[in-house]
Amino acid sequence: MIEVRDLAKHFRVHRRPPGLRASLRSLVRREHVTVRAVEQVSFTIPAGQVVGFLGPNGAGKTTTLKCLTGLLHPTAGDVRVLGHTPHRREPAFLRRISLVMGQRNALFWDLPAADAFEVNRAIYGLAEAPYRSALDELVTLLDLEPLLTKQVRVLSLGERMRCELAGALLHRPDVLFLDEPTLGLDVNGQAAVRTFLRDYNARYGATVLLTSHYMGDVTALARRVLVIDHGTLRFDGDLAALVEAHSPHRLVRVTLREAVPAQTWVGLGEVSEVDGAVVTLAVPRAETAAVAARLLTTLPVEDVAIEDPPVEDIIRAVFAHA
Amino acid sequence: MSGWSRHARVLAICWRAAVAGEVEYRLNFFSNVALSAFWMVWAAAGASVYFRFTGTVAGWTQAEVLVVIGLFFTLNGLRQALLQPNLERMTDYVRLGTLDFLLTKPFDAQLLVSLRQVRVNNLLDPVLGLALTTVGVVLSGRGVSVVALAAFGLLLGCAVLLLYALTVLLMALAVVLVAAEELGRVSYAFVELSRFPVELYRNPVQAVLTVVPVAFLTTYPAAALLGRLDPYLLVIAPAVAVGAVVVATLAWRRSLHSYSGASA
Amino acid sequence: MRDVVTAYPPLVRSATLVAATYRGRVALSLLTGFFPLLLMGVWLTIVAEGGPPKGWTTGDFLSYYAAATLLWNLSGDHVVWQWDADMRSGDLSVRLLRPVHPFHQYATNDLGHRLIFLTVLVPALVLAALLVPGLDYPVGPVRLAAVAAALVLAYAVSLLMASTFALIGFWSTQTSNAWLLWWGLGSFASGWVAPLALMPDWLRSVAVVLPFRTAMGFPVELLMGRLDARETAYGFAVGLGWLAAFAVLYRVIWRHGVRRYQAVAG
Repeated sequence: MIEVRDLAKHFRVHRRPPGLRASLRSLVRREHVTVRAVEQVSFTIPAGQVVGFLGPNGAGKTTTLKCLTGLLHPTAGDVRVLGHTPHRREPAFLRRISLVMGQRNALFWDLPAADAFEVNRAIYGLAEAPYRSALDELVTLLDLEPLLTKQVRVLSLGERMRCELAGALLHRPDVLFLDEPTLGLDVNGQAAVRTFLRDYNARYGATVLLTSHYMGDVTALARRVLVIDHGTLRFDGDLAALVEAHSPHRLVRVTLREAVPAQTWVGLGEVSEVDGAVVTLAVPRAETAAVAARLLTTLPVEDVAIEDPPVEDIIRAVFAHA
Repeated sequence: MSGWSRHARVLAICWRAAVAGEVEYRLNFFSNVALSAFWMVWAAAGASVYFRFTGTVAGWTQAEVLVVIGLFFTLNGLRQALLQPNLERMTDYVRLGTLDFLLTKPFDAQLLVSLRQVRVNNLLDPVLGLALTTVGVVLSGRGVSVVALAAFGLLLGCAVLLLYALTVLLMALAVVLVAAEELGRVSYAFVELSRFPVELYRNPVQAVLTVVPVAFLTTYPAAALLGRLDPYLLVIAPAVAVGAVVVATLAWRRSLHSYSGASA
Repeated sequence: MRDVVTAYPPLVRSATLVAATYRGRVALSLLTGFFPLLLMGVWLTIVAEGGPPKGWTTGDFLSYYAAATLLWNLSGDHVVWQWDADMRSGDLSVRLLRPVHPFHQYATNDLGHRLIFLTVLVPALVLAALLVPGLDYPVGPVRLAAVAAALVLAYAVSLLMASTFALIGFWSTQTSNAWLLWWGLGSFASGWVAPLALMPDWLRSVAVVLPFRTAMGFPVELLMGRLDARETAYGFAVGLGWLAAFAVLYRVIWRHGVRRYQAVAG
C-alpha cells in the first residue's frame, strides 16, 4: 500500500544572520547550506492501517508526507503508494489520495463550504449519485448540516476543520494523509475530529497516516507509530513497545490511609509527586511488582495503581536522548 | 521627551524592522528598482508617440510633459513605499483585532497605523522620478529661479500631504468596510490620473480633475518649477492640502469612534 | 481530455460565483478598467488643436478606445498574479494534489472572472455605439462573427501567454516583474500605447508578426472595419500560430518546472 525504501530528501537553503547590517551585506553575498531534511527512511504500511507520525518541528514529518503525496521528488530512495510513484502525479493516483493540512485552507474563504464541495465534485469528476451519498454521509458523521450554507470565514476553527475534512473525503480516497489536523482546535474540536477519523477508517478501511503535535490524536487513533527526528527514523512499531523501550520507569501510585515519614520511600523509588494522601513513585520497570508488594505489606495502604508515564513524557525522553 | 521626537523614534524603529525584513529578498529589491526605471522609460516613450504629430499639446512641450511624468513617478513611488503598505494592512488590523492592540499603545493611533509599514522596494522611486523631472527641466531649456524652486517645493509638499490625506481617508473607510484591497485601487487610480498634465485633457475632464483635485498632485508643482504657475495657487494649494488633512483626520476619528462602539 | 472538458462548466460556474461574491472588488476593478480612455483623452485634444493625425478623426479614436477598453479587460494576465500568490502561500501544492491540471484550474478561474466583466462591459459598449455620436462600427453578420472569433483568439493567446510566463515562478520569485517587463514592451506592439496605425512604420511591421497585437489591436481593428480580407486572414494565422507555439512551450516548461518544484518545495 505504502512502501518507502531509503527515502532521502535534501534542500539547499540560504542563511542570513539577524540584524540590519547583516541583511544589507546579504544583498551582495550570501551563504548556502544543504539541509538533509530526510535521510534513510524506510517503512511499509499495509492497507487499512492507521499510523501516527511523531517528531518535533523540523524533524522531517511534513517533508516525508510531501514525498508520499508527490509534491516533492525524493533526492534518493524509492516511494510507492497504491502502486504508483507519487511524484509522477498521475490523475489515477491523485484521485485515490487526499492530503489535509491543518494550517492550509482548501475551501473558499468568502463562500459557503457547499460551493467548495461542488468544485471538488467537478475536479474529481464525481457522478451525481456517489457524490450525493458521500456528501450525505459526511454531513451526518461530521454534523455539518448547520454549517454548509455559512461563509467559511464566519466558521470557528473547529467547524472549518470539519468542513475541510468533508471536502477532502468526498472522493472517498483510499489513502488519507493528515498533517496536524487538530492544530489549534479546542478539546471538543479535537475529540470530534478523532472520533470521525476512527469511524471513517473502520467503515472504509482507508489507510491513514497522521502527523500531530498532540499525543492524544495519536494514542486515540494509531496503534503503530513512526518516530522521526533530525530526518531519520528512530522508532517504528507499537505504541506500547515504544513506551516500554524508552521509559525505564513505571509509575506506582499509592493512596495512604495515614501520613508516613518522607524517608519511608528511600530505596523503594523516586517520589515524583505528592498530592495529599496520594504519592506517586517512579520505579524501575523490572522492580515494579516487587515494590508494589512491599508497599502493600509494610505501609498503611488503601490502594495501589501501576501505570505508564504519559506518552508525551516518553516522546520527550526519546528526543532528549537523540 | 517631547511628543514629536518620541513619535519620530518609534516610526524609525518600525521602518528599520521593515527594511531588514525586505532586504532579505535582494533580488526583489534590485528587480523592483530596475522595473521602476523601465516604467519611466516606458512612460516617456509612450508620451513621445503624441509628439510625432505635434510640437505641443495644450501648450505643453514634450520636455515639459517629462517634468510631469517624473513627478508622477515621485508621488506614485511615495504612495507605493509609504502609503499603500499601510492601507493594505488595514483590513487585517480590523479582522485580526490588531487595531485594538494598536489603539492601546500610548501613541497617536493615526500616525502609527498610517505610517508604520514601509515597502523598501519602492523607496528609490521618488529619486528616479525627480531625476526624470530634472532631465525634463534641462531639456525644456528653461532656467529655474530660486523663487520657482521654492514654490515647487511648497507645492510638492502640498501634493504629498494631499496624498497622505487621501490614504487616511481610505483607512477610515477601511475600518468600516473592511475592504482595504479594493480601497487601495482607489488611491492607485487617483494617482494614475496625474500621469499627464490635466490640460492635456479637454473639458469637462480637465475641470473634474482640477476639482477632484488631481491637478494639485503633479500639474501645479510642474507649472511652479517651469515658472508659469498662477500665483494665487501658492495660497490655494496649502489651503486645499491642510483642509484635506483636517477632513481626513476627522473622518479617521469618527471611524474609530464607530469601531470602538461596535466592538464594545 | 474528456474529463477536462466536462470539468470546465462547473469550474467556470463556481469561479463566477466567487467573483460575484466580491462585487465591490469587481466594481473597483472596472474603475481602473477604463484607463485606456485617458490615453484617448490626449488624442482628442490633439485632434481638436491640429486636426486628425494620419486621418484619425475624433470618431475613430472613440471607436478604437471603446473597443480597446473591452480587450484591456479581457486579458488573461491575472493568472500571473494568482500564480505568484499561490507560490508564496504554498497553495500551489493544494492545486497540484488535484487530478485536474493546474492550468485548467487557473484558466477556469480566470474565465469565471472575465465573464462577470463582460456582462457589464459588452452592454456598455453596445450602448456607447448606439448613443455616442461618431462612435460607430461598420458591422455586418460576417464581420461580427469574425470579431467574435478574434475575441476568443485574443483571450486564448493572452491567457496562454500569461500562463506560460507564470511558469517562471518555478525558478524565480520575480514572475510578476518579468511579466510586467514583457507586457510593457509588448504594449507598444499591441495597440495599447497607441493605435498601431499611428506608430512608426518599422514598429508596425514588427508588431503584425508578434503575439501582442492578437490580444488587443487585431480584434479592435477588425471591429472598426480597417482590415481587408487578406489582412484579416493574416491576423488569424499569426494568432493561431502563437497559440500553438505557446501551447507547446507551456507543456515543455511545465514538465521541467514541476520537476524542479518537487525538488525544492519546502
